[in-house]
Amino acid sequence: MPDMIVEATVNGRKIKKIAQTHQRLLDFVREELELTGTKDGCGAGECGACSMFVDGRLVKSCLVPVGKAQGSEVETIEGLGRTGELSVMQKAFHKAGASQCGYCIPGMVMAATAAIRVNPAVGDEEIKERLGGNICRCTGYQKIFDAVGLARDVMNGRLPATALDEDAAEGGRYIGANVRRLDAPSKVSGALKYAGDQVMPQMLHVQVLRSPHAHARIVSIDTSEAEAMEGVEAVVTSADVPGKDGFGVFVHDQPIMARGKVRYVGEAIAAVAAEDLLTAKRALQKIRIEWEQLAGLFDPDEAMQAGAPVVHDYAPDNLVKHIPIRKGDVERGFAEADLVIEERFETQQVEHAYLEPEAGIGYVDPDGVVTIVSPSQNITHHRHMLAEILAMPINKVRFVMSPVGGGFGGKEDMIYQGMLALLAIKSRRPVKLVFTREESIATTAKRHPSRTSYRMGLTNDGRIVASEIRVIYDGGAYGMSTEGVIRKGAILAAGPYAVPNVKIDTYGVYTNNTPSGAFRSFGSLQTQFATESMLDMAAENLGLDPFEIRRINAMQAGDLTHTKQELKSVSLLQCLDGAEKASGWETGAPTVRGATREDLDGEGCRKPCRLGARFHAEIPAPKLSEVA
Amino acid sequence: MLTCDDYLIPTSLDDALELMTRHSGRQRIVAGATDILPWAREGRAGDVHVEHLIDISKVAELNEVSFGKGRVRLGAATPFQRFLDRDDLVKALPNMRHCAIWFADDQIRECATVGGNLANASPAADGTPPFLALDAEIELARREDGRTVRRRMPLSQFITGPGGNQLVTDELIVAIECDALPDYGGSFEKVGHRRSLVIAVACVSALVSIDRSGRHFDDVRLAVGGVGPKALRLADVEALLRGAPIEAGVIDEASRLPLDLVQSRTRQAYRREVFRGFVSRALAGAARDAGAEIDAVEAELEVHHHA
Repeated sequence: MPDMIVEATVNGRKIKKIAQTHQRLLDFVREELELTGTKDGCGAGECGACSMFVDGRLVKSCLVPVGKAQGSEVETIEGLGRTGELSVMQKAFHKAGASQCGYCIPGMVMAATAAIRVNPAVGDEEIKERLGGNICRCTGYQKIFDAVGLARDVMNGRLPATALDEDAAEGGRYIGANVRRLDAPSKVSGALKYAGDQVMPQMLHVQVLRSPHAHARIVSIDTSEAEAMEGVEAVVTSADVPGKDGFGVFVHDQPIMARGKVRYVGEAIAAVAAEDLLTAKRALQKIRIEWEQLAGLFDPDEAMQAGAPVVHDYAPDNLVKHIPIRKGDVERGFAEADLVIEERFETQQVEHAYLEPEAGIGYVDPDGVVTIVSPSQNITHHRHMLAEILAMPINKVRFVMSPVGGGFGGKEDMIYQGMLALLAIKSRRPVKLVFTREESIATTAKRHPSRTSYRMGLTNDGRIVASEIRVIYDGGAYGMSTEGVIRKGAILAAGPYAVPNVKIDTYGVYTNNTPSGAFRSFGSLQTQFATESMLDMAAENLGLDPFEIRRINAMQAGDLTHTKQELKSVSLLQCLDGAEKASGWETGAPTVRGATREDLDGEGCRKPCRLGARFHAEIPAPKLSEVA
Repeated sequence: MLTCDDYLIPTSLDDALELMTRHSGRQRIVAGATDILPWAREGRAGDVHVEHLIDISKVAELNEVSFGKGRVRLGAATPFQRFLDRDDLVKALPNMRHCAIWFADDQIRECATVGGNLANASPAADGTPPFLALDAEIELARREDGRTVRRRMPLSQFITGPGGNQLVTDELIVAIECDALPDYGGSFEKVGHRRSLVIAVACVSALVSIDRSGRHFDDVRLAVGGVGPKALRLADVEALLRGAPIEAGVIDEASRLPLDLVQSRTRQAYRREVFRGFVSRALAGAARDAGAEIDAVEAELEVHHHA
C-alpha cells in the first residue's frame, strides 16, 4: 500500500511516522500514534467527535487528509492535560455532569477549548454558536453549555477554582444533590477505551458484505476468490455456523448471516477478516453471489392481507405477534358517549443516532473461550444465544461489555457479534469490526413505524367512556424486540387514564423493511402520541382546557390499569400541575385563543435561531496569539 | 473511502498546474477536502481510487489576499473562516461574514475554501449569492506549452448550472476578485434543517448603501441561491430600490417581485413563502448594517409578512 513519512509535532512532541497516503489525520492519530481519545462518529464532518487543533486552528480530522498535517503542529484531547491533571475545561465538564456516554465529549471539550482560546470572554450565545459543529445525543447540550460557562468564569477569575470541586452533599443527603460522575474523568480526558479504540496483537480487520436487495433468494455464494487473496485470513457465511443459527430478543428468527435468502437491504451475507481494512474491503468485491429476486413486502397493512409475500416460512401470515386487551364493553361505552372521535395516526422509522457506531472485537482466549468485546446492551442474553449458535457450552462463551457510546435500545440486538465469533474461530486470531456511520444507519434496528386507528368516546363533561385502538407496527425483516415493543404499546395504549371500556389490538408484522427494534419508550410513544392527540381534539370539541380534560380522566392511586395492575402511587396530577405552571399555560379550551396568546414568546420560550453572537461580543476578542 | 497512489503537495502555482497536466485524467484536486472526503463514501460515490491527489492548499499564490483599486483579490484557497476573523475582510466585504457564520461550522470553515465552494457549483452553495452581489470575477489558470495561461470571467458566467462550470481540463481557479465595499451594509439569510452544517433550502445576500439622510437606499445589490439551477442577481429588485425610501411598504413590494424566480423542483410553495420573508429581512438587515435606523421598519415588515 502506498505510504508517506509524516513529520509533525503532536501534543508538543516531534513525531516521524509512516502513514498510508489515503489515511485521514483522524486515522493517522488513532492508528499510527495510538491516540484514541479522538473519536470517529460519522466520517463525514457532521458530528465533530474528531475535532482537534492543527496549527492552533480547530478542524474536523475526518476531513483532513494526513498529507495536510505534514510539518504542522497537532494538538489532540490527550494534549490538554499534560501534567496528568485535567485541564480547567475538562474539570468543568466533570463538575457540570456534561458527559454521559462520553463518545462526543473529547470533540466537545476540544471545541469548547477553542471557543475559550479565541474569546476568553465568550458569551453564552457565542458558546452555542461555536459548538454548533459538534453533536451530542445524550445530554441535550445544556450541561455542556453550563460546563463551558463554568470553565470561562474560573479562567477569568469570576469564580474561584474551588467552583470546580464537587459540591458537598447537604446534610449528607445525596438525593437531589449534584454528584460528579465517577467515570467522567476517563471520558473528558479521552482515556476511556471504547470497543473501536481497542487493539490486540495480531488483530485482523473485518468487513461485511451486505445485501443490495430487500427480498431475494441466494442461489449460490462463491467466496473462493476472496479467500485466495493475499492478506485475507478468513471468510465466513452462514455455512460456517456450527450450531443452531438464530438470535433475537424474543423469537430467534435471525441468522448470523443471511441463510438461503435475504430479507432486507443491508442484511449481512458474508464477512471477511484480513490483515488491513482495505484488503478486507477489496475482498468483499470478489465474493460472487447468484440471486433470484423475490417479491418484496414493504407495507405493513399489505403484510396482513392474504396472498402477501411471506417473509419467514414459520410465519405464513407475516405476524410476529398480536397483543389483544379487552376491558368492559366498548360498544356499550360508545352508546353512552356524547362525543365519538375517530382518527388515524402514523409514526415513522427513527434512527437512534448514538455517536458511537457499532464496533466489536472477537478472540479465542488461551483456554479456548470465545470472547466478544462490544457495546452490547444485553450481554447475558447474547452469551446464551451465541453458545447455542456456536454449539459450545456456556462456559466457553464470554461477553465483555465495552463502554457504550450511546445505545437508546439500538445496541440490544446481536447483529454482528456472531460474525466476530465465527471469524475469530476460523482465523484463530483476534478480529475487529467497526461500523461506518452509513452501515450503522442502514443495518441496525429502528423505532417501529406505526399506523393507529383510534376511536374514543367521551361524555360532555370530558370523561372518556370508551377507547378502541388498533395499531399495526412495522417490525421489518426480523423479530428483534417487536414482541415486547407491541406488548408495551398495548399496555400503555389508552394512556394513564381511567377508561371503563377498552379494546386494544396491537400487531407486529414482518416486512422487507429495515428491522425495527428497541428504542426509548419501547412502543408506547406511538400510542401515546395518538392518545394525547385524541385528548387535545376532544378538549377542542368539548370546550375544555387540555390540562383539565387530562385531570378529569387521570388514574389515581388505588386504580387498576387496563391490564389490572394496582397503582400504589400516581404522580400524574402533580406532573400536570408542574407542566402547567412551568409552561405559563393560558387557561382555556384550545378554541378560545385568537391571533395572540399570552403564554407564547415569554420567558422560557425558544426564540427563532439567529447566528452572529460573536459579532456583538461585549468584550472584543483578543487575537489568538495573545491567548495561552 | 478515498484512496490514492500518491498525495502531492505543490507549493507554487506553476508546479501545481504542471502536476495537473502531467497526470491529466488520473488526478483530482484537493483544496479544503471538506467535500471530496464525504463524497467518497457509501451512498454517494462509494469507494473511490484516484491515482494522484494534488493538494493545492499550500500553493502560496492561492493563499494571498490583496486589496487595490476598489477590489479585493482572494486566493482560491482562502478558507471561509477568514471572513470572520480578518478585520480587513470583515470591513471590505460586509456581506461575507454574515455568509460565513451560516456556512457549515467553525471547524469546516477553517478548511473549506472559496475556490472549492464556487467550483462545485451547487445551486444551494452559500458562497455564490454574496459573491455575485460583490460583482465577483473568477481567475483561472492552466499550463499550455510549458507556460501558465490565465483567463478571467464574471462569476455569473463561470457557473453554468448544477455542478457545472467553465473550467476546462486541468484548469484551476486561482483567485476570486470582487468589489471592496466598506461603506455598504451586508446581510445573508439562509434556511435549512438546523443551524450548523446544513445545505441551504434557500439563501439570499444583500448589500446596501444609504444616502446621507439615512432614509433612502442609495445602491442595492441582491442575489439569491437555492431557488433554481443557478444563483442569481435580482436586477429588477435592485433597480426598484435604488433611491427609494427605506420603508416597510417599499421593501415588502420589492420582496414580492422575484417570487416567480422560485422554480425549484421540490417544496416550491414553501420556498416561495420563505423566499419573500428572506428578501425583505435581507434588505432590512443590510440597511441596518449600513447604519439606517430600521427598528420601526422591521416591526412593520413583520406585520406585512403575516398579513
